[in-house]
Amino acid sequence: MNRKKGLPSYPGSKLLYSWIGFFSVLEAIAIIAQAFFLARVITFLFEGQMINEVINDIVFFFISFVVRYMITFSIRVIAERYSLKTIEQLREQLIHAYFNNGTAFISSHGTARLVLLAIEGMDQLKDYLQIAIPRMIRTMIVPFFIVVYIFTVDKVSAGILVVTVPIIIIFMILLGLAAQKMADKQYETYRILSNHFVDSLKGLETLKYIGESKRHESKIATVSDDYRKATNKTLRMAFLSSFALDFFTSLSIAFVAVTLGFRLIDGITTLLPALTILILAPEYFLPIRQVGKDYHATLDGQVAMEQIDDVLVRVNEHKQPGNDEQIKWDQKSELTIDQIRIAFEDKTILQDISFSWKGPGFIGIVGESGAGKSTFLHFLAGFNRQVQGSINMNGQTIKTFQRSDWLDKIAYIPQHPYIFPTSLANNIRFYEPDASDEAVERIVKKIGLQSFVEQLPEGIHERIGEGGRMLSGGQEQRVAIARALLSERPIILLDEPTAHLDVETEYELKQLMIDVFTEKLVFFATHRIHWMQSMDELIVIDKQTIVEHGTHEQLINKNGTYKTLIYG
Amino acid sequence: MQTWVKPYINKNKKLIALTVLLGVIGAGAGAMLLFVSGYLISKSALRPVNIMIVYVPIVSVRAFSIGQAVFLYLEKLASHDIALRILARMRTQLYRIIEPQAAFLRSRFKTGDLLSVLADDIEHLQDLYLRTIFPSILGLTLFTIVAFVFGIFDIVFGIFIILTLAVIVCLIPFISFLKSKKHHDEIKTKRHSLYSQLTDAMFGLTDWLASGRQDKWQQTFFQTDKQLLHAEKQFQHMRVFRDMISQLVVGIVIVLTIIWTSIQTTNEVITPTLIAAFVLMMFAIADSLLPLSEAIEKIPSYTDSLNRMNDVKQKMDDFDHNVTADIPFSNNIQLAINNVTYQYPSSNENVLNDVSFTIDQGKRIALLGRSGSGKSTLLKLLTGIIQPTEGTITLNGQIVNSSIIAKHVAILNQKPHLFSTSIKNNIRIGKQDATDEEIERVVEKAQLTELINELPDGLNTQMEEMGSRFSGGERQRIAFARILLQDTPIIMIDEATVGLDPVTEKSLTNTVLSSTKDKTIVWITHHLTGVDAMDEIVFLKDGNISLHGHHEQLLQTSSYYKNLYAMDQGTFLNG
Repeated sequence: MNRKKGLPSYPGSKLLYSWIGFFSVLEAIAIIAQAFFLARVITFLFEGQMINEVINDIVFFFISFVVRYMITFSIRVIAERYSLKTIEQLREQLIHAYFNNGTAFISSHGTARLVLLAIEGMDQLKDYLQIAIPRMIRTMIVPFFIVVYIFTVDKVSAGILVVTVPIIIIFMILLGLAAQKMADKQYETYRILSNHFVDSLKGLETLKYIGESKRHESKIATVSDDYRKATNKTLRMAFLSSFALDFFTSLSIAFVAVTLGFRLIDGITTLLPALTILILAPEYFLPIRQVGKDYHATLDGQVAMEQIDDVLVRVNEHKQPGNDEQIKWDQKSELTIDQIRIAFEDKTILQDISFSWKGPGFIGIVGESGAGKSTFLHFLAGFNRQVQGSINMNGQTIKTFQRSDWLDKIAYIPQHPYIFPTSLANNIRFYEPDASDEAVERIVKKIGLQSFVEQLPEGIHERIGEGGRMLSGGQEQRVAIARALLSERPIILLDEPTAHLDVETEYELKQLMIDVFTEKLVFFATHRIHWMQSMDELIVIDKQTIVEHGTHEQLINKNGTYKTLIYG
Repeated sequence: MQTWVKPYINKNKKLIALTVLLGVIGAGAGAMLLFVSGYLISKSALRPVNIMIVYVPIVSVRAFSIGQAVFLYLEKLASHDIALRILARMRTQLYRIIEPQAAFLRSRFKTGDLLSVLADDIEHLQDLYLRTIFPSILGLTLFTIVAFVFGIFDIVFGIFIILTLAVIVCLIPFISFLKSKKHHDEIKTKRHSLYSQLTDAMFGLTDWLASGRQDKWQQTFFQTDKQLLHAEKQFQHMRVFRDMISQLVVGIVIVLTIIWTSIQTTNEVITPTLIAAFVLMMFAIADSLLPLSEAIEKIPSYTDSLNRMNDVKQKMDDFDHNVTADIPFSNNIQLAINNVTYQYPSSNENVLNDVSFTIDQGKRIALLGRSGSGKSTLLKLLTGIIQPTEGTITLNGQIVNSSIIAKHVAILNQKPHLFSTSIKNNIRIGKQDATDEEIERVVEKAQLTELINELPDGLNTQMEEMGSRFSGGERQRIAFARILLQDTPIIMIDEATVGLDPVTEKSLTNTVLSSTKDKTIVWITHHLTGVDAMDEIVFLKDGNISLHGHHEQLLQTSSYYKNLYAMDQGTFLNG
């Protein structure tokens, strides 16, 4: 991470910081004016003037007071506008990055984490930009102006106020470090204790079956109490830094008041400047105290910012086909890939992959768990691009499968096809939103969902997926097959589609697939042995590369990796 | 509120009073610091001959300045301590509510993460106390004290200043509460929609990419995003406006105080030295009352958590807790299913239809069927979690109930929970007083010895330390060792091999079958791996037994079974 220290920089941030700086100067002036007029009012009243004689000063005080807060709130509003605009842009960039980086990126980072980053992470960044940054800028400006003004009035008081700040900072750093050390030391205990409740709830069923669930209740109480004690210990330390802040600021104010008192008695100074300083002293510390309060928001915001940057710098350069000809695919087309190497974050996953096929057919991809079967399918599906090697289609060389005219040709069906929370019909015509209900119904009949649809009150318009009717694993597969058939994609990629299904459903699906995919080029990753004989060609992947290929009989006779894989 | 807030406040009344007291003293010290400072300076300006006249103010200025910091620190500690105490009790209460229905959790609540959501809800409610309830009580107490003090000085002005301050303390928080509810709801809906749209896109990414419609999706998403940000902007504007009005009121209060002190000095009720004191103090008082609006504004953000927790309580209460008769423990058990029909209360279709068969001690039964065929329901019936609509299930002649689960039946399901503690403790849950030798024996039987010997800490390795490094098969074996330690006469296995690759599936199946001689096994499975070692195979179809017999028998009598078996073995008998 090469992030520069200091304030974050996004488009328009410089302008914003200058505005906030400018407003902060105005604010400091208003604060001084407010204190000045208030001190005058009080002093004159103290000296025995009547209220109507000081009415002008009261009005001036009130005006400066109102102006001061109008400035404060203007800063809030402009910072907020800026942060919302920045968030909108960043979120857009982030989403583009998610889409462009593809499935391999998403699965390696975790869907939940990325969704959280795009929503919660952005919120944290927003708070940081909106609240913490303006306060940081104000902290640099407002106290400075106030103390300069105080210096012109009374050097001793200014001295006390200036000296206090480094003391506060030193103490806060020391106490912060001590608290951190303590928290680190307790981290392990902490994690276990705080995790215990969720763990207990999740394991409740297990505990119940074993007959331990009743007894476990007292354990929850004990652990919660231990957690409280441990937390209290840490908090005692952690709150010390805010204690130091409160302690030194209020002590400093008390000191200013006392020294002013002495000098008033000695006649060195008079009431008006003394009161002005006393009113200004808390204002001097106010921004510093607020920054101290924002510590966590700042930390969260910075962490989110780094994570977002991290995703954004990794956006793949875009991959439009450029001037290439459009890819065509028909029954006589030929696909050749040569010397392909695929790596993810500098780690080679597949290398030296060469393969060629002409026309329709069933191509099985076999290998042990983790050998790279899925990566190979993902490559064909255009989820990741090769770092080496070439692709040739009907004599035309293309750089990558990551191009829209290739994506139009393929249908990728994973083990758990995603069912969108919409109607069954819309799920089936997902690739072809304009398809008619009749076309959908034809496909429904073809893939054997007819009797299921007949049970649905709304027929093909019944809502399925999350929040609707849940489908069984076999039905999910059928919907995915229907999608591919309706859009007439000539190339089908299947990633272990039946292993998780019960054997009867698997049996039926197998008959169905062999039947409806006859005219297609099908790539089929599986370790279910029974599929092997139905394949026109088998590709055996082992140790990051293709070690054998051929039909089932050929490979068995070869007595190599394949045979060991099948017979153990 | 009734269940999850009030009782806890009542239980902790004294501690809460203590926190508020500390907070009042802290805030009071802050106000007095300014009061005394103002007085000190004014008095000094009179240039008293004897410095001893200002001695008391000088000392008390220091005392108040230290007191402010100390009491605020103590208040923070005390309030966090109470919040954590309440949290601990809430956890226990939630657990107590859920515990009796543990076996139904899966079927009663759709979302699997409901439990973590509830745990998060409790954490979130900590803020209800720390950021809303305690600050509100503190603010109101301070307000009352101020009202009282001014009332003593001057009843007319007291009422006047109280009414003005009441705008900050009551009126503005109330309006901001009403408004924030609307904003909160809108933001919540928009956020939720953003969440589901994005999750949808991430899970369905391949389909979106393949459909070439990602641009369209992005358009909708950014539209929602814009709406959300707009809603947030409006909320923010409302807050800025509210805070501005509050500050305006503070300005008015200060001016009122100036006027009042001036009148009082003219009337010689107070000395001029107190003008500065009162005016400066009023700043401190107003400052400590301002946070009330923010505290109240947060209330709508807790309602979701509270509603969810109430909902769970409701659902659990609705369920009748069937009291169960105890069945004496026996090592020789005959399970009989007699003409069992089952219908879920919400439907009028039979999930099981007049099913009968008997399982003698030591028999191994494989139960197969598609999803929805009734096999999971049958398992629930067998373990006494639900009772048949018609017919009976008996255990040595006695009707089963859920108390048989713990005593006689051990269950290995698809995703057994392994607690985040050591492997040894996870196994020991099966039998708390097990000796190390006993544990080693079951580890051996579950064929885990090799794996455990490779771990540097052996059996003491923490589950989560290995994270996902324990594979699905290894996790199943650990859970299986736990079951072996339980040593029940009946073991039920519920799709324990789904998601495992064939090699692992086969080896786990072999382990289970070879180490459970003499035990009754009811094995719900989706593949035919290992069926040849079973005594009986039962196929369910639409709530009826469609095939029943042992392997050899079925191979000969049913061509359907023959085909299935052939396919699963990978050898095609009929091409």
